[in-house]
Amino acid sequence: MNPTDRPIANPIIVLREEFDDWAVLFNPDTAYAAGTNPVGVAVWKLIDGRRSLEEIAAKIKISFEGAPEASDKDIVAFVDMLAENGFVGLELEEK
Amino acid sequence: MPGGSENKIEPSASRIMRSPRSLTLEITARCNLRCRYCYFFNNPAIVYRDLPTDEWLAFFDELGSLGVMNVTLAGGEPFIREDLPSLLEGIVRNRMRFSFLSNGALIGDDIAALLARTGRCEYVQVSVDGSCAEVHDSCRGRGSFDGAIRGIRALQRHRIGVAVRVTIHRNNVHDLENIGRFLLEDLGLSDFGTNAAGYMGSCRGNADDILLNAEERMEAMATLLRLSAKYGGRISAQAGPLTDGRMWLRMEEARAQGKPAFPNGGRLTACGCPTHKISVRADGVIVPCTMLAQIELGRINEDSLAEIWQNSPALNQLRNRHTIPLAGFEFCAGCLYIPYCTGNCPGLAYTLTGQVDHPSPDACLRRFLEGGGAIA
Repeated sequence: MNPTDRPIANPIIVLREEFDDWAVLFNPDTAYAAGTNPVGVAVWKLIDGRRSLEEIAAKIKISFEGAPEASDKDIVAFVDMLAENGFVGLELEEK
Repeated sequence: MPGGSENKIEPSASRIMRSPRSLTLEITARCNLRCRYCYFFNNPAIVYRDLPTDEWLAFFDELGSLGVMNVTLAGGEPFIREDLPSLLEGIVRNRMRFSFLSNGALIGDDIAALLARTGRCEYVQVSVDGSCAEVHDSCRGRGSFDGAIRGIRALQRHRIGVAVRVTIHRNNVHDLENIGRFLLEDLGLSDFGTNAAGYMGSCRGNADDILLNAEERMEAMATLLRLSAKYGGRISAQAGPLTDGRMWLRMEEARAQGKPAFPNGGRLTACGCPTHKISVRADGVIVPCTMLAQIELGRINEDSLAEIWQNSPALNQLRNRHTIPLAGFEFCAGCLYIPYCTGNCPGLAYTLTGQVDHPSPDACLRRFLEGGGAIA
C-alpha cells in the first residue's frame, strides 16, 4: 500500500482486545488470527476508508509519544500484512 | 512494529483476558444413544433440560459482542437439535467459528452439506471406540458403529474436518492395533485422538466393567506408544493411556536421574482451560468446564458473561489452583514424583475425592505402581 491509500477494514474481522491493550485480529472465515500490540490496535481503529495511511501515522505519533520516525514504515508494513490476509482492502472508486 | 504474533496465541496464566476465546456449549441434554460410560448422563449436578432457540441466539449475540472466536457444540448429541440451522446461522452472524462433539450417527449428507455451506466449521469430533461393530457397540449400543462410520463418510464427502476420538475401556483395549489400522488406513483419517473412560456420570455405575485395571492400562500404554511411533505421531492424546505413558516415562526418568522439578511440577497446575475457555450446560447455567458441572457461575442471558469471566470468585479460585503445592496433601505425602507431577484433571479429582482442589488419583503414578502397574 502507498501512504496516500485509504484502507477500509473488512467488516467480518473480529478485534479481540485481550489484556493490557494487546489484541487479536481474527478472520472467522479463514481462521487466521494475528496478535497485535496497542499501536496496532490503535491503527486498526483508525482504518475507516476515509483516512490515508499517512494521516493514520500522524495520529499515531500524537497518541503514542516517542514513536520513532520509522513508525511510518512499520505502520505501512502492518497494514500490508493485514491486506495480504484479507483484514483490510481498498474501496474501488466509481468511474 | 504494530504487529505481534501471527497464528501463535498463547494464553497467559498470570493475566485474565477480557473475555473467553472459546466456549463449550452443551446445546442439548438429549441423546440418541446411552453409552455405558457417558460422563454427561447420570450426573447429579446436571439439569437435563433444553433451552429454546431464542435463548441460544440471544447468547450468541453476547458472545459476538465479546469477540469470542470459537464455540464447541456438545451435548447430549448436538445434531439431535431440530433448530440446528438457526443456531448455526446465529453463530455465523456473530463472526464465530464452531466445532461439534458427536457420536456421528445422526450425520447424513444433509447435515454435512449444511456445515460445509457455512464455511465456519472447524471440525466434527466423532467417537469411534472399535474397529468393528462388535467392539464399538459393546458400550454404545447396537447400530452405533455403523451410524458413526456413515456420519464420518458423509463429513468426508463434504470436506468437513473429522476428528475421531477413541475412548479406551476394558472392551476395546485389546482392539487398539485394529482401531489404528482401521482409522488411519481404511478410513484414511490424517490422525485421531485417544482418551480413557473416566469415573464420571454413567461410568460410575458401570466402573467394574469399563475402567481399565493396572494390567490393561499397561497394555494400553504400551500399544499406544508403539502405534504412535509406527504411525509417525498421527495418534494424539491430552489424557488417557497415551498421555500417561509419555508423562510417566518422563517422570520416572527425571526421578531416577534426580533432575530438577518440571516447570509446571509440584503444584496443581492442570489444567489451564479456565484461562481461555468456559462452558455452558444445556439448561443455560455457566460452568468452568463440562467436567465441573457442579460449579455454577451464573446463567446465560441473566448474568453478564464478561462479569463472570473477569470477577467470578469460583472461577478465579480455579485459576489460582496452580499455586497449591502438592506437598501439602496427605495423598502425596512422601511421593518422590511430586516435583514432576501436575495433579491432573480437577474434574476427575472432584468425582473421585469430592474435592476440586486435590490431585486426581486417576493420574497418580505412585498409586498406579502401588496397584501393580509398571512402566517400561
